[in-house]
Formats: sequence, structure tokens, C-alpha cells
Amino acid sequence: MKGKSLLVSLVILLALLAIMPLSAIRADGHCEFAEDSITIGALVPLSAPGSVEGGISMQWAIEHAVEGINADCGIHIDGSHYRLEVAVGDSEGSPERGQAAVERLIFESEADAVVGVYHSAVGLATMTMLDENGIPTVFSEPWNDNVSANGIIEYDGRPPRSADGIDHVFRISPTSTMVGSVVVDWLLSLGVENVVLIAENTDYGQPAAADETARLEAAGVTVTQLDVELGTEDFVPILSRIQANPVVPDAVRLHVTGETSLNLTQQMAELGIAPTEDTVCVTNQYAFQSDTYWGTVPDGNYCAFNRVGIIPSLFNEQGIELNEAFEEAWGKLVPSFAMASYDAVHIVADAMERAGSFTDAAAIVDAIEATDIELSQGRYHFMYGSHNPDLPEGTPAFMWHQWPDPIVTVMQYFEPNQSALNAAVIFPEVYQTHGTSYIVPGTTP
Amino acid sequence: MINDASLLLWLIAAGPLWAAIGLYVMPRSQRKIKRDEEISQSKLQIAGLIAGFALGPVGVGLIYLLPNLIRRATLILGILIAVFVSSQVLVRVSDPNVPSVMWLVLAGPLWAALASYFIPRHYHEVDADDNNALTAAALGGFAIGPLIFALMWKHSPKISRDWIIVLGSLGAWQIYTIFAINNPTNPCVAAPYHATYLTQQTANGVVIGTIYSLMAVGLTLIYSVQGVISFAHGQMYMIGGYFSYYFLLHAGNYLSELTGAEVSVNPIWGIPVAGFIVFLIGAVFERGFLKPMHDGLIERAAEYAILITFGFGFFLEYTTLAIAGPFPQRADRFIEIRRFTLQRAQITDDFAFGPINIIGDRVFAMVIGIVLIFALLYFLQRTWIGRGLRATSQDKQAAAVAGINPTKMNTLSFGLGSMLGAMSGAALIPIFAWVPWVGAEMVGRSYVIVVLGGLGSVPGALVGGIVVGIVEALGAGCYPDPSKGAAYKEAFALVIFALVLLLKPTGLFGREQI
Repeated sequence: MKGKSLLVSLVILLALLAIMPLSAIRADGHCEFAEDSITIGALVPLSAPGSVEGGISMQWAIEHAVEGINADCGIHIDGSHYRLEVAVGDSEGSPERGQAAVERLIFESEADAVVGVYHSAVGLATMTMLDENGIPTVFSEPWNDNVSANGIIEYDGRPPRSADGIDHVFRISPTSTMVGSVVVDWLLSLGVENVVLIAENTDYGQPAAADETARLEAAGVTVTQLDVELGTEDFVPILSRIQANPVVPDAVRLHVTGETSLNLTQQMAELGIAPTEDTVCVTNQYAFQSDTYWGTVPDGNYCAFNRVGIIPSLFNEQGIELNEAFEEAWGKLVPSFAMASYDAVHIVADAMERAGSFTDAAAIVDAIEATDIELSQGRYHFMYGSHNPDLPEGTPAFMWHQWPDPIVTVMQYFEPNQSALNAAVIFPEVYQTHGTSYIVPGTTP
Repeated sequence: MINDASLLLWLIAAGPLWAAIGLYVMPRSQRKIKRDEEISQSKLQIAGLIAGFALGPVGVGLIYLLPNLIRRATLILGILIAVFVSSQVLVRVSDPNVPSVMWLVLAGPLWAALASYFIPRHYHEVDADDNNALTAAALGGFAIGPLIFALMWKHSPKISRDWIIVLGSLGAWQIYTIFAINNPTNPCVAAPYHATYLTQQTANGVVIGTIYSLMAVGLTLIYSVQGVISFAHGQMYMIGGYFSYYFLLHAGNYLSELTGAEVSVNPIWGIPVAGFIVFLIGAVFERGFLKPMHDGLIERAAEYAILITFGFGFFLEYTTLAIAGPFPQRADRFIEIRRFTLQRAQITDDFAFGPINIIGDRVFAMVIGIVLIFALLYFLQRTWIGRGLRATSQDKQAAAVAGINPTKMNTLSFGLGSMLGAMSGAALIPIFAWVPWVGAEMVGRSYVIVVLGGLGSVPGALVGGIVVGIVEALGAGCYPDPSKGAAYKEAFALVIFALVLLLKPTGLFGREQI
């Protein structure tokens, strides 16, 4: 009798095993996933002329976030657990390649949402496609003001996206104006009168430089702008031009990204243009990657740089964990665009759960607009969207679907080979770590 | 009543129109000329063109009906009238307040085009030595306008290199003068600093140009022996930098462990190491992928060579990206001197010269570049293998008859060319931030240098590199709008590239063998 029941149990077990693949449930470790999965499109630059380093860091962060969510049994909708999958599109940092990548993400990979984007040019070129195809999107790095302003203003002859009542694109990186206002306020607090702005010829560099120029000139500062192409290695001819000017600039401010900014900063220092006692050096946020910075800009001590994203001393638990994981993978501090990309995945996942759907774009957009979640960079929320469509007078259009609280600070190294964790935060005053708004070269705070 | 604006329009529109009509109808006036006074086709055309431009329908009609008027005196008169009219037109087009010398700027290209069309044909008609006639005509037309016809038409002299140098210098001086008139505050012309500034920019150009040359020399070596443009050359340059970097890193770590003190190895040691490794890579690649082409096993050899080298370049770039990662790297300095400075010197009460700053590592890399190029020249000229390479580049079959193995020479040339690219990368990794795609910009410039200097010419690559370096430096440094100078830097070299292709397609030192 005992043997018979054992046999029956065995048959039942075999039968269950046999029908298991046919069921709609997939077991994965401790989780049981639904057969359908949710595809997150990651639009990042993985080839030159795009910022490959930025793209790889963002891709890593997106995949890391997805791994974490899947380890928690994915996205929970109506009692089912949906696994997240990542489809990667290489924007190459160029608008047309970005559009081709978005097309593949939408029509081949059937992405349910898209996150990422490093270059403003790619953001501007792809946002209308993403919106027209109803893809909830959270951009994590483009700074151009129009990326979010396009939701409610006419841009480039196109009607506002919000005209149909739904605008699918959100942004959690700061706008150029947000960054520029902090840096300009800092420079003005130092009493500069003559500034050289060096800007890359892109949809990031030119508007950012124009915004800062307008602010500085409004304050009576003389601004000379020099444009450069990304990928250029030798800047000595144009730097010699700065040197030939009998008026020594009070500050040289770079709006140049990637390794181009590193070459430019080093050559500026080698020629003795900045940083010097007379001239403040303000380089790109890339300088936050202290290993890379000191490896390629050995003469860059005392250069200041704008830091976008939370400062290391204010990292919360998620930030610390993410930073540790990034350091383990790459041996470097986690950059803000990787943190933002990580958070973007969580924002989308959270919204899908609250919307109870991963296919109803309108519901997901509504849910993102109602986001209130603490992630690695802080508390995310969106002040203006269809839930709160009226921007008060004086509020810039880019605040639409824009995270209002990204932290922008100015930091400065004051020792060679110093870790960014120990670099001084010098502006705004509320975040100052060394009690000063500028460390004059040759001194210590 | 004709007002100024309509007169201007008439001058602009009607001059070229009547010139074109004159150009078209004059050859048809041949029948009116007495047999014993036959005038050449090109002479008739140019007479019609000048008469039409200078005197409109009156000039064309007169010279068509009385072609025997085409004599030296009438031609000179026509040229003078044309010069006067064109100067007036062009001054009015630009700005009435602008000096009349402006006509040279705008009329220069016109005369250059006319001279380069007619003068070589005239040389051909009179059976004169037309070598360099096109270059001299174009440069002369640009520099001295219609006077070039007076110089080159009657006696059709043989054009030596001195002619080119003099006419080129005159053209350059003319551009500089006009530039100075129109941009009086530009640092390239504004006294008292312009001498210092121009010297600074020229020095910048010579230093970086010599380094560019080293990479281009490798490319020209491969081309001259194999007839193949290596599209993987930029990646050879890139991996050369990485091999040097990792060698220095590991050697430093090893020596540090050995001695118990922190040791860093000078990047100069990375150059031969990178060169040796990449030589092997290049040789193996040539054996594996290009030899079948030379053996006649590939049907469309030219296309195959492009595709296979292109593909190999991609393979190297993405393999490096996978191994080294995307984060920029840079080796330590060659020398601890950050920059060499020639201090300011007060020459007279009104004139001071200096300071001139050159980054220390660049000077060092330039010296390495010069040494390696001269070592290569010595190798090619004075050693048996070098002569073998030269013989192969001249005639593979004849070289084989003389006991030289062309297959081995092919392999050697690709290995050596790749090695030179890699060594230039290793010489530059202490100067620039290094990433796996760093070769893209440099290789594009190398193609320009190689064509500019003359495909297959090692000295040409050296001179071409320096020319490109100087043109880029002066272009970026002198461009009237300072905000655009750096952005257009590469375009300045491309302008020179286009002009050379137009005027001297074989390049400055063009020949078919190394």
C-alpha cells in the first residue's frame, strides 16, 4: 500500500513536471515569474563619438537596477511577478543613430519603457518619437532645457507634446539652466569680471554656454566664448590665443564633456593659463572621477568642477550600496549619470506597479507624475505635469515633467591625487565642507 | 538714370556674362584672320574673355569683327581695363570704404582659375615643358592676377621649384596683408605682439606636425610597397599607446616590488616595446589576410584590402574597449619640465619678443619623431633590406629577379608601417588622454598628410605633417572669429588638402616609390 501511494505520488510529480513548461508561471530561485516579461529600453552611447564611458556606466547601472528588482521578484502587478529585461540601444551620441536605436527599441525589442540618454542632442532627437509611440520615458542625463520644456512649449516648429493630454517624457537630470545658475552665482560671488567660456559644439555645450553668457553679461561680466569640437586632442593653438590676450581672464569655464575635457584641462594647466592665482579653472563634472582625472590631468590641482547629483558625504544607504557595487565593478566612484540611470529604472518600475499595468502608457505616465519615492539620489517627485498643469508665472517651461531637486554643487580639489570623496564642496554655502567658496592655488583650506 | 545699385548689378552681372560670350564666340572668328597670321585657340578665347569682361558688348563686338587687333598691346590694354573694372566692382561689392587692394582677395581665385585653365593649354600648344605649369599658373593667378599671363605666355618658361616658392610666398603675403587690413585687432597682425604670437603658433604647429608625421610615415610605407591603404592604421596607433601604457604600468609595479620603493618607468621605454609588439601583429595580419591577395587568390583585391583592413581596425578597437575599458588613460611624463619658455626680450623701445611657451613633453615627442623618421630613412637608403623594400616598391618582378622576396617585403612593410603608427601612439600617450577610439581623428589627419606630402614619399610625409600642423595652428589661432577658430581647426588642413589635390594631385613630393 505504501509502495502504491509512493508510485502515485511519483506519477503526479512527473506529470506536474511535464506540464510545468506549459504553464504561465516560470520559477526562478525563490520567485515565480509570469511568462511575459517587461522590457526596459536602455538608450545609451556605447560607441564614439558618444561618451562611451558614460554609456557603459549607465548601462551597468540600468542592468544593476534590473538585477536588483528581479531579485525582489520583479514587478508585482495583479498578483503576478513580471521579470524585467533590458534591451540596449546604442545612440553613439548622435541624433540620427539615436533615432535608429529608439526605432529598434520600440519596434523590434517592443520596449515597454525607455530610460537613459546621455547626450542632449539624442534626447532632443528622440523624445518626439518616444512620445508619439506612447513609450513612458525617464531621461537620466541630457541637460538641454528643451528636453522637458518641449512638453509645454512649441519647439523647433513642433506643437507642444502635451497638446494631446499625454506627455510621456520625464527627466531627472538637471537642466543646463539649473547647473549654469549655480556656477554663475559662484563665479559672481568670487567677483569675476572677465570670463572665457570654452564650449563644445553640441546641443549641450552651446545652449549651456549661451545661458551662462547671458547671466554673466547681465551682471556686467565680459565673456569670451570659444567653441571646440568633441574628439579634438590638441587645443594648444586656441589656448595660445587666450594667452596672447593682454587681459588675463579671471576664470576659464569649460562646457566640454568626456576625454576632450580632460585633454583641454591638462593643456590649459601645462601652459599656465588656469588654474593660477589670477585665473580660476572650472572644468567639467567628469573631474569627479578622481582616478581618471588625476591619471589624465596630473597638473589639474585646484581646478573646480560642477558636481551634478548628490555629494558623497550625503549618500543615503542606497547611494552607498550603489557606489560600492560600482567601485567593485569598475574601481571608481559612481558617477551621477549612473546613479540617475539606476534611479530611472526604479521610478519606472514603481510607476508600473502603482499603475497596475506595464502596457497602459497613460496610466504609467499618470503614476510617474505622482511619483514620491526615495532612491539613491534622494526623493523623486514631479511638480508639474497633467496633474498640476499650470506653471506659475516666472516658472521656466523646463520644469514640466522635470525633477525639481537635483543637487548641483561646485567642488574643488586642493591636493594632487585627491579622491573626490575628500575634495572640498565650495558652493552653494549650505553644502560647503571646508568653510570657503574658493581655495586659491598654493593654499590649503 | 542709373543709380549706384543698378550700376553695381550691371557690373556684376554683365561683366562675366559678356566674358562668357566672348569666350564662346571668339574661336569662331578664326575665319576672319589671315592665314599667315593665325592665332591660337586659347589666345582667341582669352582675348574674348578679357574684352567681354572689360568692355562688355563693345569689347566682344570689336574683337570679333577685328580679331587682328589681338596683339600684345591690345591684350595688355584689355587686361588693365579688366583689372580696373574688376577692382571697382569688387570694392563696391564689399564696402566702398574698403581699400582697393580688396579686389585681390576676390579677384585672386578668378584669375587663378583663368590662368590654370589657359596657361597649361598654351604650354601644350607651344610644346613647352608643362611640368608644374598648372601649379605656377594657379598660384601666380592668385598672387599677381593677370600679370601671370605676361610672365608665362610669351616665352613659356620652364617652371622650377623656385617659381612655385616665390609665387606661393607672394600669395601668402597677399593673404596676410589683406587679412591685416580687415582684422587689425587680430593677434596674428596686431602690433606689437603679432611676431611673438605668430612664432608661438608656428612653433606649436611644427611640434605637433612632426608628431603627426611619424604616424603618416607608416601609412605611406605600407602604401608604397603594397599599394594598400591601411584602414587599420589608426587602431595600430591606438594599441601602440595602450601597449606602452600597460608595459610601463606592469614594469613599474614589478620594479617597485623588486626594490621596495615606488618606481615609475619613463615612457620612452614603452615606445620600442609597443613598436615590437605591433610589428608582430602587423606582420601576422599581413601574412594571414593580405598575402592571399598578393598571391592572386582574391578576385577584387582593391575592395578586399579596404574591407579587410577596415574590419581589422574595428576588431582591434572593440577588443581594446573590452579589455582596457572606456576610461581614459595617460602615461607619466617623459620629462618633468612642464613647459619650455623663451622669456620675453625687449628688442627695441617699441618692440618686444616673447615669451614663447612649448609644452615639455611635446618637444620630447617631437625629437623622438624626428629620430625615428631619420632612422627609417637611413634604414631605407643604407641597408640591404631597406633597399629591398625600395626595389619592391618600384617593381616587384624586377626585385624578385634580383633575389628579393616580394612576399617577405610585403610582410615587412606592413609590420614596419604598423610599428611606426604604434610608436607614434606610444610617443603621444603621455600627452593626450587615451581611449580606444583615439585613432579615428589621427588617422583621418594622416590620410591628409600622406596625400599632401605625396603618396609613397617619406620626406613628403614629414613635410606634409609639419605643413598640416602649422596650417591647423595658424588657422585656429588667426581665424577672425575666435569662437570658431578651434572648431574649424581640422577644416583648415582640409582646405590645403583640397588645393593640393586640385593643383598637384601627386602631392608636394609625389612619386610612386619610397
